[in-house]
Amino acid sequence: MTGLYVHVPFCARKCDYCDFYSLAKSEGQIHDYVEAVLAEAKHYQGLNFDTIYFGGGTPSLLGPENLEKLYSGLRKTFGFEKILEATIETNPESLTEQFALSARNCGFDRVSIGIQSLNDGELQSVGRIHNSKKAIDAISIANRHFKRVSADLIIGLPGQTKSSLLSTLSKFVEFGLKHISAYCLLVEEGTKLHQNMPDNLPSDDEQADLFEQCRDFLISKNFRHYEISNFATSGEESLHNINYWECGEYLGLGPGASSHLDGIRFKNEENLDKYINNPISCKFIEEELAPEDKIFEEAMLNLRLLENGTDLDLLSQKYKPENISRLQDRLDELVQDDKLEKSGNVYTINPSFVLVSNPIFSKILNG
Amino acid sequence: MNNIRNFCIIAHIDHGKSTLADRILELTDVVHTTGNAQILDSMDLEKERGITIKASPVRIPYKAKNGQEYILNLIDTPGHVDFNYEVSRSLKACEGALLLVDATQGVEAQTIANAYLAMDADLHIIPVINKIDLPNAMIDECKIQMEDMLGLPSDDAMLVSAKDGTGVPELLEEIVRKVPPPRISESAPLRCLIFDSHYDSYKGAISHIRIFDGSIKPGDKIMLKSNSKIFEVEEVGYFGLRLIRCDELKAGEVGYFAAIIRDTSDIHVGDTIISPEFPDTMAIPGFRRMQPMVFCGVYPISTNDYDKLRTAIEKYQLNDSSIVYEKESSAALGHGFRVGFLGMLHMEIVVERLKREFEQEIIATMPTVVYKVIGTKGQETYIDNPSKFPDPNEIESIEEPIVKAQVITQNDTIGPVMELSQARRGTMTGMEYPDQKRTIIHYEFPLAEIITDYYDKLKSITHGYGSLDYDFTGYRQDDLVKVDVLVNGDQVDALSYISHRDFAVQKGRSLINKLRKLIPRQQFKIPLQAAIGGKIIAREDIAAYRKDVLAKCYGGDVTRKKKLLEKQKEGKKRMKMVGAVEIPQEAFLSLLKVEEEE
Repeated sequence: MTGLYVHVPFCARKCDYCDFYSLAKSEGQIHDYVEAVLAEAKHYQGLNFDTIYFGGGTPSLLGPENLEKLYSGLRKTFGFEKILEATIETNPESLTEQFALSARNCGFDRVSIGIQSLNDGELQSVGRIHNSKKAIDAISIANRHFKRVSADLIIGLPGQTKSSLLSTLSKFVEFGLKHISAYCLLVEEGTKLHQNMPDNLPSDDEQADLFEQCRDFLISKNFRHYEISNFATSGEESLHNINYWECGEYLGLGPGASSHLDGIRFKNEENLDKYINNPISCKFIEEELAPEDKIFEEAMLNLRLLENGTDLDLLSQKYKPENISRLQDRLDELVQDDKLEKSGNVYTINPSFVLVSNPIFSKILNG
Repeated sequence: MNNIRNFCIIAHIDHGKSTLADRILELTDVVHTTGNAQILDSMDLEKERGITIKASPVRIPYKAKNGQEYILNLIDTPGHVDFNYEVSRSLKACEGALLLVDATQGVEAQTIANAYLAMDADLHIIPVINKIDLPNAMIDECKIQMEDMLGLPSDDAMLVSAKDGTGVPELLEEIVRKVPPPRISESAPLRCLIFDSHYDSYKGAISHIRIFDGSIKPGDKIMLKSNSKIFEVEEVGYFGLRLIRCDELKAGEVGYFAAIIRDTSDIHVGDTIISPEFPDTMAIPGFRRMQPMVFCGVYPISTNDYDKLRTAIEKYQLNDSSIVYEKESSAALGHGFRVGFLGMLHMEIVVERLKREFEQEIIATMPTVVYKVIGTKGQETYIDNPSKFPDPNEIESIEEPIVKAQVITQNDTIGPVMELSQARRGTMTGMEYPDQKRTIIHYEFPLAEIITDYYDKLKSITHGYGSLDYDFTGYRQDDLVKVDVLVNGDQVDALSYISHRDFAVQKGRSLINKLRKLIPRQQFKIPLQAAIGGKIIAREDIAAYRKDVLAKCYGGDVTRKKKLLEKQKEGKKRMKMVGAVEIPQEAFLSLLKVEEEE
């Protein structure tokens, strides 16, 4: 599988916890940005994609016109004949009827909404500009135009309790959402939240409790915990994201976007002006791993897929036996420690270690 | 040679030695305006803590009022009780001493101790009362105390303010007048004393010397009296603010020589340098060798760094000959060293200097004193490491080192001082009343009870006025037990400690509590236990952590997330793996913190 990711670095307001690359929007810049992405795309003409994902930032801030221009321009360059899934991220305040219609007409068949919570206090506490009513409106707009709708949810928001979380989740299910990404709030350095930590921020233990409750509830509603932070009913998983965890290839367009092609990880600088001026000059190589190291990265990413896990038989089609055996040693050691489960040649994370999986990943990567 | 004056400044800590040294250096144009620089305190650590750790010598050219040119060799010395050894070595290189007393504090325990050291060394003492510019200066009281407590004629006391320079010119004249010139014979064969040394990566070991007889210059052959090894002198010089090369050092002078001595163990502070032509030249009587009182384990964090640590300690010892060390190994910490120090502050300073100047990543374990263990067959063993204690049923009795201590305090804080001292198993042996306001209380203490934080506590309950000096007197039997600490069921030898049985349980509980807070939560529950013999006296559990996960890991940031995992791993390198548990460095000193909080 090969994915196409387009990073739209504009936001109406930066959320207090966000450390992604995003800027306040300005109309002139959006126009130039679209031109630059199309110019960058030309550089990769000839690539074929299975999935498309417009992320950000806030892609819905592009507005119908720019979105159509961008999407059709990309289609002209790449063809898009065999696209299986095309997702666009939106925020409740900019997911209008008109925008939804235009996104669907472009060819998007899946929408992911940054709801985060349906509790107004929690939303305000991290500087989100929408409220729960706006969020519910956005869900119904999305439901009218798209068969596949996903919502983001943050676990561990200031003031969040088990009952407030359960209330948000129940409404999600009630509104028919079939995919939910549930992220534990991470206070990153340099964010507003880090500078000004609220007193009522749930502790790590409380976050763990909240997460477990979320998992139990969604599983009881026929969701599957298919990736550490992602839940979906059968067949509703995000193909584009699964490709990341399968260590697949993808091209990222736009400032700050990352790519993985021919085994090389590269990235565009997070600098919109420079990008607009000359998108190709922004590219820099992040990492080029030799096969003997690449296998560990791949195994680590695979393990995030809680059901599929790391399949040694699949890996041995790509890597040499001596690399496989080094990996197997590490995996078996983790099985000994009860952290992984093994069935045939497939290794998966023991469900009780999902929330403490960093040491597992660290072990896989660093031995 | 009649124009040389070798003198040092001695005082209780914080009475203004280094400030006075600064003013003298300014007045004699060795340096220009320093402000609060504390020029001779060159170590970062000295500047940070505002104390002198090393005695530093400096040569000062001085034109006296009588028109004659003099060379003053000034040695600034440390004031803390732990560094007495530095003081006693410096005294050997001098003929005179300025005994500095803070006019707002009066004579204190270390003033007395240092004055006696100077008297024993036959130095001419010039009493100096400092800080006379302060409104609460008690000049007359100080004079009375000097007479009564030290037997120094109060009329001779010089009144100065090292801060604003008042009285310092007069003091310089007094030094020229009163400090005797060195008694020397230039024609006699070479005889000089090594009173300090340091290591230079180009020049090898550099010895700081005081020449008593003869002279020394580059090209001369010299012999070390202690091991009869012969070296050729490469360079001689004296101490400016840096080392200043010169052609020759003559009898009476203070300076240094380098002779490409690579093996640091050849240079012993206190050794005599003689001429190989006269191998029978008598050694200069050395100074009192201080016995290390406090021992701790020093281990590299990474077991691979053992050799680096050994080299660092060897070089360090050259600059601080008061430490002793030997190899030891610990089941928990691997190979390292047992190092002996003069006291707790000394230990802190050494560990800090090893970390900073020698860039060693190390773990220091709980300090302990040396116990005398009498076995069931009557055999005596001295043990400086609790984990080396024999099995309880092979022990007949345990003796611990006892010190005789003098505490000087204001009369209104006698109560709290006595309370504190009693809690530290102190026995009062007498009281003296040197003046209206103050009392000297004589105590006997188990050394173990006062090495850690007694002095800090004393300072705090006496609002800074209390002072302490102590001397080792001998060993005494008591009801002592070894307490072991188990982390996750495994005994951690480096955490064992010796305690009086009456305090063992209470201490064990606080230690376990402290450890619980210091050891980070890990993937599994960790029981922490303290035990005497097999009997558990305290227990707490560290709950397993429940969240350590990278929530978002999308294509955009695979590399970044991987770096984050690596960073997490780096952080863990600074911890020590003991069994399956990662223990941070501070945990090994947590018993100290227990005492701080009591």
